[in-house]
Amino acid sequence: MTMQLERIVATNFRKFRDPMVVEGLGSGLNVVIEPNETGKSTLLEALRAGLFVRHGTKNQLAQSFMPFGENVAPEVEIEFQIDGERWHVAKKFLKSPALEVRGPKGRTSGDAAEEQLQALLGFERSTSRDADLDSYGALGLLWVGQGDALSVRAPSEIVRNSVRSTLEAEVGSIMGGATHDAVRAAVDKQFADYWTPGGSIGGRQKSARDAAQTAREAADQATSDLAALDRSFAELAEKQARMKVLKRELADERDVQARADLVKSLETARAAALMLGQRKAERSAAQADADALSEFAERHKTAVTAKTEATDALADANAKRAKVEAEVEDAKEKEESARQALSSAREVRAAAKSALADARVLTSTATRHSAIADAKRRHEKLIELEAELVESRRIEAASIESQTMKSLESLERDVVTASAELSAGSTIIELIGEAPHITVDGDAFGDGPRTIVQDTRIGLGGGAELIIKPPRGTASAQAQLDDLNARLASELSQLGISNVSEARTRVDAARDAKANIATLDARIEAITQAVPAVDLGAGADTLRKFVASITESDTAAPATIPDIAELEKRLEDAEDGLATTDGIHQAALEALRKAEEKNRPLVTAETSARSTLASAEQQIATIEADPRFANMETGLFAAREKAAAADVAWQQAQENAGSLDPETIERQIEKIDKRAESARTQATELQLEVARLEATIETEGGKGLAEAAAGAEEEANAAQRLFERVTEEAATVKLLRGTLEHARLETSQTYVGPIARRAKRHIERLLPGCDLSFTEDLQLHSITRAGTEEGCSNLSRGTQEQLAVLTRLAFADMLLEKGRPVSLILDDPLAYSDDARLDLMSDILTEAAERMQVILLTCRERAFRHLSGTHIAIG
Amino acid sequence: MFRFIHTADWQLGKPFAWAEPEVRSALTDARFDAIDTIGQMASEHSVTHIFVAGDVFDTEGPDPRTIVQALSRMERHPCKWWLLPGNHDFVRAGGLWDRIEARLPGNVSLIPEAQPCELDDGVWLLPAPLVHRHQNDDPTESFDTMETPGAILRIGLAHGSIVDFGAQGETKNQIAPDRATRSGLDYLALGDWHGLLQVNSRTWYSGTPEVDRFQRDEPGKALLVELEQGGEPIVTEFRTGKYQWLKRDWRVDDFAGFEAERAQLLDECDPATTLVRMTLTGITTLTDRVAMLSALEDDLAHRFRYFSYSATDLVAKPSNDDLAAFSAEGILGAAASTLNTRVQEDGPESLIARRALERLFVEHAKVIGS
Repeated sequence: MTMQLERIVATNFRKFRDPMVVEGLGSGLNVVIEPNETGKSTLLEALRAGLFVRHGTKNQLAQSFMPFGENVAPEVEIEFQIDGERWHVAKKFLKSPALEVRGPKGRTSGDAAEEQLQALLGFERSTSRDADLDSYGALGLLWVGQGDALSVRAPSEIVRNSVRSTLEAEVGSIMGGATHDAVRAAVDKQFADYWTPGGSIGGRQKSARDAAQTAREAADQATSDLAALDRSFAELAEKQARMKVLKRELADERDVQARADLVKSLETARAAALMLGQRKAERSAAQADADALSEFAERHKTAVTAKTEATDALADANAKRAKVEAEVEDAKEKEESARQALSSAREVRAAAKSALADARVLTSTATRHSAIADAKRRHEKLIELEAELVESRRIEAASIESQTMKSLESLERDVVTASAELSAGSTIIELIGEAPHITVDGDAFGDGPRTIVQDTRIGLGGGAELIIKPPRGTASAQAQLDDLNARLASELSQLGISNVSEARTRVDAARDAKANIATLDARIEAITQAVPAVDLGAGADTLRKFVASITESDTAAPATIPDIAELEKRLEDAEDGLATTDGIHQAALEALRKAEEKNRPLVTAETSARSTLASAEQQIATIEADPRFANMETGLFAAREKAAAADVAWQQAQENAGSLDPETIERQIEKIDKRAESARTQATELQLEVARLEATIETEGGKGLAEAAAGAEEEANAAQRLFERVTEEAATVKLLRGTLEHARLETSQTYVGPIARRAKRHIERLLPGCDLSFTEDLQLHSITRAGTEEGCSNLSRGTQEQLAVLTRLAFADMLLEKGRPVSLILDDPLAYSDDARLDLMSDILTEAAERMQVILLTCRERAFRHLSGTHIAIG
Repeated sequence: MFRFIHTADWQLGKPFAWAEPEVRSALTDARFDAIDTIGQMASEHSVTHIFVAGDVFDTEGPDPRTIVQALSRMERHPCKWWLLPGNHDFVRAGGLWDRIEARLPGNVSLIPEAQPCELDDGVWLLPAPLVHRHQNDDPTESFDTMETPGAILRIGLAHGSIVDFGAQGETKNQIAPDRATRSGLDYLALGDWHGLLQVNSRTWYSGTPEVDRFQRDEPGKALLVELEQGGEPIVTEFRTGKYQWLKRDWRVDDFAGFEAERAQLLDECDPATTLVRMTLTGITTLTDRVAMLSALEDDLAHRFRYFSYSATDLVAKPSNDDLAAFSAEGILGAAASTLNTRVQEDGPESLIARRALERLFVEHAKVIGS
């Protein structure tokens, strides 16, 4: 349903005394471009006043319509169409206020006309003293005053209800309305009885819990007090029972009697113990006497036996020895003769040995002598060879190296070649005859031909000179020859020789000398071999040192050399003889040793027997000298009798002492005493305890603790049950409230969808790809771009303003679709938009104007003048 | 002929703290008043001796006020009160009885020991006071050997359960059921069982004079006993109890059934002196359940001296009508539907959800009603 404003006339309104007329408004886009102070905002005010402000009101708002300082009646006249039906509204305020509405069904006036307008345009009667946009319904939202669109805000309750009711068909649900609100209020009130606003335990629930806790604590305390008293009772009963037992024990005479009996037996026991000690000592003494005497008699008997045995042994040893002595004597004689034979044999051998030694000394001296002589001879030869060797080495050393030799020979060849070349081209002069005054270059001419190789002055005497100039080639050949000769001469002089053939001779001599050196070395080595007989080592030096060390005495040779072999044969014979005699002597010695060995135990036995005999005799003598010996038999008998008697007496005493141990008895007495003492102490303590407990019971027992405890327990249980009931009640209310709230949110949410869809259509163009989130009261809450959510209030002013316009447009669209009268008025909108956004918004508004009437009021000519649509001026 | 009153289990000082304070004091006072009732009954029937068979006091440590009330009430009646210690107020050194002995009025006799006592020419009382809270042997065993020279009548006085009660869970202080025959008693006055009970012709429990728990519907009684040598005892019961304690378990599936039960209950008692503890079970509609509960809470509960009920097992299934009433309510309908779904689920939440649904129903009804 479109609403089209056509004409507005305001008279005596605000600053317009004269009628302000706006007419010719079209169905689509209308642009009113006027400078500031022209009355654009007043136009909107007049519209609102004409339609929404009750004509009869005298409130502050109505007063404000009056031109400042003038007492005239503001009037507004509005003509508009809704769905092709024409309406005319004329309203007059303050002075004789009036309203007249002319519509398709005729004319109404006054309050009826007000109600007709309300029904037609969907607004409510305002109770506010000022302008109350919320009460103006959809047009309150869609007619946007200057600055009203600067932030996104929720539509009013009327608009929301309107939206909801228009959407009912679409979302298929109904809000609870008044019934819901009343039920919800009642449930909220009940909730507040049990819970804090934050949902924590509070109110009655808390009181019940506290009461239950307090009652439980009191009951526990009472129970604990009662238990303490009961313990006192139990303790008292137990103490009294023990006291009874104790008193019976104390009154018991048995311990007293037992103690008296024990004291008596203690005396008896002490006497018996004394006697026993005495008898024991006596018994020990008698026994000791008897034992001593018995041992004395035993000793004498042993000594007599020993004497007899020793005597027999001595006789036996003597008899055996007599026989063995003869064997020893015989052996001694045989050994004597063998020893003498051995001695002779030793002398013979010594003589033979000595003779052989002497002979060997002589032989050795002779050998040494000849060796020394030989060494001397070889030494002399050595000296000769060494001299020869020195000479050969010198010659070898003077040899010319083969390299040098080659060089010499090459030079010599070159010289010969050069000479030949020279002589081929040279001038040869010869002087025949004697002419001493003729000189060549100042020298005598000499014999024989002369080869001229350079300018040569032949002095002819008398100052005359014949100059011979050889051919030019000769001169160079001569120079080369000279050079070669000079180099040859230089090399030869370095070698210390005069010509090349001499060099060849030296090389040949050196080669021979080298061969000779090897020969000489071999010969020297041959004559300087080692001679062990005279401790001479190998080598020339060793030989020279040996010869130098020879003294004169070494050179004397012995006169004769005896026959060594003969002497050795003699020694061998003597050795054989000695061995034989030594064997004989050894046998004799063995025989003697055996004889003496047979004799030795006999001697020992004899000595031992003699010693034992002497000892036994000594002992017998000592014993028999003892005075006890005289009456030994009778004395021993008496002592034994005495010991037996003492033993009997001791046993008797033991029996007397019997089990009467004084210490045991003392301990028993002590035990009885302690028991009695302990019983008395305990009785005192118990008496004290009993008195204390009785006093406690006396005090506490009269307080009625048991009844109090029973009561407190029941109270605690009752309080607990109450608390449980209250808790259950609280849970019930909480669940109910939660369920109601959830249902409310869910229901609200069903209305948000259609709004969001419509808003998104527009906003997408501004912010491509964004997602919108609306609150349940249909306010755009946030937008999400590229995954980031931004609250509307955080967006830039320009964007906020644009979103505010676009969401309004969404509401307008929806209301339009649902057949509500809709028109959009924007007073000085998009003040913060940049050019691009402004263009885009202009496009969107132009498109919207195809669906509904859009009126743009602006002072910005450049920004809006290009818009198509109806351009209107305020007249 | 020898005539006496047999009573027991006064349980003076019982706290009743589960009840609200005014009920509590009414019940407490009623127990003291029972003493006066018995005293008057003695006067009316010219009875000299009143035997209290144990549990005079509810605890071994009663409040001083309880003691004073008890003694002063007894003092003002011209009869002889014989008090036997029971398991609740057993004898012990320095205990309750030692303390009040010195304060006993002349007409009140305490029986602290199991000693026979000649009341009249040839009339012997054989008591069995309890010296422990729980005693494993039969406390009346000693009656067999008690010397009662020249006895014309032998009256036993004891506190404990008859062996047969074992099945009901009371096992201590057991008394042989044939004690009267065994010990040659003309009458055995017993305490401990709170209801009136005849064990055999010579053995009786008088029960408590004022009921103290929801166990039996009968009000408290005391027994007037007449004995003649060789004859059977003549036992007459008298109501002494002021209050009736009723326990009711109603199975109600609709409001009409509830109404019928309600009418019957009101018809059979005096609500002003009646205490009621009620359990409702059944399956009903939400509407009926709400109606029943409001009838209980807004009317019935106020008629009785004390009234408590549990409706946990009265299950309300919201009918299609119930839910239909909500379906037009948008949010409320959605909430009711959510809750109803949760009611169907098992678990502890189910019960809470049921209550919440019921509450929603009630609140909705209130709003609609207004």
